[in-house]
Amino acid sequence: MSLKQRKFPALAATAVLSMGLAACGGSGSSGSGASGGGAGAPANANVPPWCGAKKITLALADGFGGNAWRQVTRAEAKDEASKCPNVTQYLYSDGQGNTQKAISDIQGFTAKGVTAMVVFPDAGKAMLPALRSAYKAGVVTVPYRVSPGGEAGKDYDYFVDTDFKQAGVLWANWLVKALKDKGNVVNLGGPAANSQSQDEYDGMMSVLKDHPGIKFIGQTPYNVTNWDPAETQKVVTGLLAKYPQIDAITTDYGNALASSFPAFQQANRKIPPIATEDANLLGCDYKKAKDSGKGFQLFTVSSQNWMSRLAVQVAVAKASGGVIPKNMTAPQLAFEDSITSKPNPVKCDTSLPADAFLSSKLTPAQQAAALKG
Amino acid sequence: MTQNTSGNGPLPAATDDATEDQSWLRRRISGPATAILAATVLLFVASAILQPESLRGSSLAGMLPFAAVLAIVAVGQTLVIQQGGIDLSVPGFMSLTVVIVTHYPAGDSGKLPVAVLGAFVIAALGGLASGLLVSRVGVTSIVVTLGMNALLYGAVLGISGGIPRSTTQALRDIATAKAVGVPMTVVLAVIITAIVGFCIKRTVVGRRFEAIGSSNQAARAIGLPVRRHQLAAYVAAALLYCTAGVLLAGVVSAPSAFQGDTYLLPSVAAVVLGGTSLLGGRGSVVASAVAALFLSQLAQVLLTSGVNSAVRNLVEAFALAVGVAIYSVDWNRVLSTLNVRERSAAGASTGA
Repeated sequence: MSLKQRKFPALAATAVLSMGLAACGGSGSSGSGASGGGAGAPANANVPPWCGAKKITLALADGFGGNAWRQVTRAEAKDEASKCPNVTQYLYSDGQGNTQKAISDIQGFTAKGVTAMVVFPDAGKAMLPALRSAYKAGVVTVPYRVSPGGEAGKDYDYFVDTDFKQAGVLWANWLVKALKDKGNVVNLGGPAANSQSQDEYDGMMSVLKDHPGIKFIGQTPYNVTNWDPAETQKVVTGLLAKYPQIDAITTDYGNALASSFPAFQQANRKIPPIATEDANLLGCDYKKAKDSGKGFQLFTVSSQNWMSRLAVQVAVAKASGGVIPKNMTAPQLAFEDSITSKPNPVKCDTSLPADAFLSSKLTPAQQAAALKG
Repeated sequence: MTQNTSGNGPLPAATDDATEDQSWLRRRISGPATAILAATVLLFVASAILQPESLRGSSLAGMLPFAAVLAIVAVGQTLVIQQGGIDLSVPGFMSLTVVIVTHYPAGDSGKLPVAVLGAFVIAALGGLASGLLVSRVGVTSIVVTLGMNALLYGAVLGISGGIPRSTTQALRDIATAKAVGVPMTVVLAVIITAIVGFCIKRTVVGRRFEAIGSSNQAARAIGLPVRRHQLAAYVAAALLYCTAGVLLAGVVSAPSAFQGDTYLLPSVAAVVLGGTSLLGGRGSVVASAVAALFLSQLAQVLLTSGVNSAVRNLVEAFALAVGVAIYSVDWNRVLSTLNVRERSAAGASTGA
């Protein structure tokens, strides 16, 4: 389960409700035109090494496409594919959080005869048979971010993943610095039993076991918020009532936390240091709080929208005969740090929507376009 | 043991007194608002003893606005359920409202009134469509509202692309304002519940409304305008969901585009706990609103107590099961069946 399914559980209810109607939707994969021009043009200096000589068609089969993170991520994938002129056609499909549809999308692309396919397998293992049959049919198949189980080279070509534990390690290192080795920390996570929030907690614990002064309070490994702003607000209210001393908060969905800032005001409490993923809203709220003299410390790791670029590179390289990237794990990177301003001070772009990701590799204009849908 | 299949049938003289006591008890506990009111008071007393933190000012200030929103939704759901239907389009109406009042103004408080007005117009039209399909065409409400929900979600995605926007400052100020220390949301919920409750219980239209819900055929036979009342239930419910959506957008300063999702089941739960029959007819919007407070406080106590989410779900499910059991099990029958069993067991042993 990945962070970017955060709207998925919320949607699931609706998906179930509207199943009868949605089932008629078919596999409506929306094709978007070719990205590279220059048919047969010789490789020039601008062509990246992962772009090989063979002409290919590329598809991105998204398990779910209906939130800001997915839209930005999809735009990053398309942007990356456009760097390789030998990708003659780029196709996209949105599984709409419906496993049936996601499977039929993959089957549709296979039948259509695409050369390479990048897949966000939201449903995890349920997607493995579809991936395997695409792989067996000779399509270069690269799932990313959510593990579908199975084995690279047997069920699909490569799996591009990321290590959420690493995010936890980065947060914990910052906590040690921000709290000076002592304090009570609350960890907020997604739905119960999701692996991402668990991994992040494990990552934090691997650092904090050497710093016994820093303790987790409330539920461990994490307080269940379902990545829902209203639920987060209720959970934070409860925590504030129960614990007179909260010195820091860690969470994998900063935007949801931002909506509970008024709860601190109601309880007459200061907003403690926060370690999370980057989100425009959070950055802007940070600035607002700072300007009004109620500032707090903030540390973020990148939201990794650019991870889809790596998946595209791997798929295109394998299919077109380019140089396949060696490292197939997208690194967790620090993005903003209000204490050291390294690698960046906290950012806020009021011209972009609250749910924009300033760690994206798209230009603000590209991102604004992507978020318009 | 086969003598008393009806439960209300004549019983041997020896148990007459006991039966009278039982039915008196049953009447008392199934009086619309009494049971849930007692449960709610009990819950608050238990909260004060077990988790006094959950009754602190800041904690209440966090819980009450959500309870108020749920109460308004529950009042709407009650109206539809009283007409023998069930409304599955709660999430659609609420989410669409949240999206309209946050996306259209896009932070500009000046555009807020138009957005709110637009949301109400759209909700009214949606409710009208559902109501017409149910009352005129005769499609089952579960199908109509399911379809309506899908349509509304289409609109949510069309307008927002699934991308949330922050609430405008004006809406936030209104929703978080306090009148004499009481959150505005609560004041509104109380006023709305009182008005709807008064209309249903004390006006001719309201009495007809409930009579029609009890029995369509009987109401039609005595010449009541059945269709018009059914239609009104869906329109009124849609407007109530919309009101709740506007308030929710204000309470949650950074709402998601699907913020109504979590309100469908709690709204039905509140109606059931409030003692309204799922078969239609008798019911009480006041009891539903009180049940909304009960459910919200229960969730808050459990959150504050720090039990894990599995226990939270179990306790909430248990409360619901008890609530349903109180209203839907025919306790007289259960007790009399038990009595008969005891007696026949006693008889068997003396006979042997």
